[in-house]
Amino acid sequence: MDTLHAPARRDSSYAYAGPEALRQPIEAALRQVVDPEVAMSIVDVGLVHGVSVDDDRVQVVMTMTSAACPVADVIVGDVEAELDRVVPPQMQIRVELVWEPAWTTGRMSERAKAFVGW
Amino acid sequence: MEARAHTGTPAPVRLARLAFLSVVGVMLVAGVIGGLLRAGVAVPVPADSAWPGRAVSAHAFLMICAFMGSVVAIERAVAVKERLAFAAPAASALAGVLMLAGIPGAAAWLAVLASLAFIAVNVTVVSRQRAAHTALLLTGAATWLVGNLLYALGNRPAMVVPWWFSFLILTIAAERLEMTRLMRRRPAAAATLFICLGLVLAGSAAFAWSPLWGGWLYGLSLAGLAAWLVSFDIARRTVAADGLSRYMAVCLLLGYAWLAVSGLAWMATSLGFAARDAALHALGLGFIFSMMLGHAPVILPALARVKMLFGWFFYLPLAVLHVSLALRLFLGPVDFGLRSAGAAGNAAAIVVFALTVVGSAMAWRLKYPASSRKRHAIPAPH
Repeated sequence: MDTLHAPARRDSSYAYAGPEALRQPIEAALRQVVDPEVAMSIVDVGLVHGVSVDDDRVQVVMTMTSAACPVADVIVGDVEAELDRVVPPQMQIRVELVWEPAWTTGRMSERAKAFVGW
Repeated sequence: MEARAHTGTPAPVRLARLAFLSVVGVMLVAGVIGGLLRAGVAVPVPADSAWPGRAVSAHAFLMICAFMGSVVAIERAVAVKERLAFAAPAASALAGVLMLAGIPGAAAWLAVLASLAFIAVNVTVVSRQRAAHTALLLTGAATWLVGNLLYALGNRPAMVVPWWFSFLILTIAAERLEMTRLMRRRPAAAATLFICLGLVLAGSAAFAWSPLWGGWLYGLSLAGLAAWLVSFDIARRTVAADGLSRYMAVCLLLGYAWLAVSGLAWMATSLGFAARDAALHALGLGFIFSMMLGHAPVILPALARVKMLFGWFFYLPLAVLHVSLALRLFLGPVDFGLRSAGAAGNAAAIVVFALTVVGSAMAWRLKYPASSRKRHAIPAPH
């Protein structure tokens, strides 16, 4: 878990721990999941805290901007479905929704900030 | 949430969910029929049945408490993921059934219980996330309780309805405030919003002793809120996107225009002009229903667990709604026939929207047949 909450790498908004070969496919898959309300991917909004991959499991730790969001399960389902397309079939996919650390605007990507006029 | 070991939702749960959503849908249909009869539309209803008359007199109760209140309470229950939280929408939907069954006293007090349960759910939300928008959601729930108590105690509609609308207005404002957290925080933006919403509450309360002051305060607050939303909402940005995001933004921005119209109409009504239909329905249909149309492609999959394919056809019911509402509210005051035609168009928009939702769910199933879905996985709709 510690690795997931480690400081984000410069070129990605979330921490990644796992084989290099899967880094790009997983990020591309996560970027497919868009919150239509804000027209941005969950990666750009900064909802993904971290991804860790071991031999038989890929784990995503993410948050939502609001605890009153009824769409959380749909977004989590979309993340699972997109990961399902890119990770090896024997791997389990686990998406964990957490409220700590809370989402802040500091987690948004530069692209996201430019889109909403920062 | 562990994937690839997913067993799916048990059939009894799916059936219960479908039955519950159907009851909420029946509340919408009954409320709309009551509204059409009020507007002088010749709806073919059984002549020997008492429920159409009850739907006419309880139109606002059915639309706001039994339908929209239930939808909002289901949304919140889905968000908190507590089975007990569904007691609130179950009670508000059942209250609508009792109202149509001719037991208005029990219906009104059951609505009080529904709003009490809904307050408890919102306290849970606030305890999980202490933020301005969750506090506003809780305040909205409290205004629903005030409206329901006033109604159960037999107060006249002119005192009750502003509180019921305030519940929906505060709920929507809270959700929009949450979205504006993504935007750069401008000085005084939050404070201005709280002043507008404070005026909404002050206006609601003022109707108890002065329709004039109530109308002015309420109308001013709605116009101010519309200006705030147009100035700060993220929809101004997302309207430049495409697909579902743009559609949602169009729904929102059209809704904000009607919110401003409604504000002016509340003020005009308090001065004696015949603008009550505009005050109520620019708000209920133009602002709130437009918001619902915008969010349905996102919210319905969460509530009903059905995937939907977005397409241009979603703009059809939206256009029917706004054109028919303009006909009703701008030309209705000079010609009652046009008011009726506009009201029929409003109802048609809701029917077309229901067909759009069904068509979009079927289109998704055609595009992603079961055989193409890898393992348990379902492709994301966006």
